[in-house]
Amino acid sequence: MSLPQSLRASVSPPELELIASQQLIEIVPLISMEKTAFISGAYGPLRPPNKARVPLWMAVNLKMKKKCHIVAPSWLNVEYLQEHLALELSQQTFSSLPFRFTEIAKVILDVASDDLENPDKIRSLMKDLREARQAKSREGLKTLDHSELSLPNLCSMEINEIRPYFVQSMSILTQLVRDPLRNA
Amino acid sequence: MDWDEEYELIRSGRAVPRAGPSFLTRDGSPSNDDPHTNANSTTRHQQPQPPAPAPAAAAAIESVPDFYPEEAEQGTPLEQLTRHWMNERHAPDILPAQEDLLMNLLDHLRRQSEAVQLLREDPSTSEEEHIRIMLVQIEVERVKFIVRSYVRTRLFKIERYARFITTNAEIQTRLTAAERDHASRHAILTDQHFYLSVLQGLPEKQSHLDDTPLFVPPMVTEPDKSRPVFVHALQRCPRVRLPDGATLDMEKGHISLMPYSVVEELVARGEVELI
Repeated sequence: MSLPQSLRASVSPPELELIASQQLIEIVPLISMEKTAFISGAYGPLRPPNKARVPLWMAVNLKMKKKCHIVAPSWLNVEYLQEHLALELSQQTFSSLPFRFTEIAKVILDVASDDLENPDKIRSLMKDLREARQAKSREGLKTLDHSELSLPNLCSMEINEIRPYFVQSMSILTQLVRDPLRNA
Repeated sequence: MDWDEEYELIRSGRAVPRAGPSFLTRDGSPSNDDPHTNANSTTRHQQPQPPAPAPAAAAAIESVPDFYPEEAEQGTPLEQLTRHWMNERHAPDILPAQEDLLMNLLDHLRRQSEAVQLLREDPSTSEEEHIRIMLVQIEVERVKFIVRSYVRTRLFKIERYARFITTNAEIQTRLTAAERDHASRHAILTDQHFYLSVLQGLPEKQSHLDDTPLFVPPMVTEPDKSRPVFVHALQRCPRVRLPDGATLDMEKGHISLMPYSVVEELVARGEVELI
């Protein structure tokens, strides 16, 4: 079929990762490269040891060939995440994090954990954050009705995670309130 | 067997020109073939060669200037396509086709691939160049994936709603000519198949695919616009009315779950994206 069954209802995490990989990130290149025109824009020139901004997918590829170091985004460190975890645990609402932080953090932790300080601690903080936020989105299901549910500060991966359950629940609620005379 | 070999065989009388299926499979247009196989008794170089790709390429380049003025507010073509791709994936209905955008990107893809090909064949290409070539190629593959997935998503919806599309003029305006054609052919093929395999054996009253009996949902599959979608406001949006009668003003960055029918127009105008 034109679209596999598994992709019909939702988007897959690798697809979200592909989209997130278009975001720009700072690297310290170890090779030099002239400014080059890509489809998504022109990047470079790379002049070691000056920092450069390139898309994440490019950074990952250079990193895997040991041609650059990735500079972690300002939110990917122990202090920032710890602060947010504290906020997350003390407040009812979701704290504001970059929209695609899960995908970006995962990619960087996978390929460039040696460029991060204390990657193990970051990993466990990410997990704690995720669990704290997951608990809140489950609470949110209680307030679901047939017309609208605001989800401020929810992130891309979290939305994808709750999508099947929330969409179906809301569809059922819609059917329950549907005016029976309208369809007859 | 290629054109020239076959032609030689036919000329020397060792093969009989065959009409019908063999022509259809080779080229799909027997009417174009006939003048050449029958009337062409002169020289070989009058054989139809593959048409030069120039006209198509030129058309694609011409579409570029129209396109750039919008770029500043809507992001690069790739960002736009990524957004349309996600919208298409999440929306229950078929969204307007993005023919110009797609043409523009396909053209760009072709130019990048050609540049890579040229550089690769050049033996003087340095080690540093190889890294650049590799990166350009990686990007080409990334963009190709998005283009394919976007087209496949549309194809999936078109096949699913094929019967509905053939009867609804409004939805046809959102499809390209090729997509409309595909929808009607798909609808005819499945209709014939259902008729030959089952429906012809049923009583006349039950042998149609578009009956509307009472108390039963309609037989023609329609997009379910009441399906909820996750909406992300790209700008301050005009007030929308929710199914329960309340109204909602979405500020930029607002994220919300609501039925697709509520935000249908906002999606079409690009004021919100589906996530």
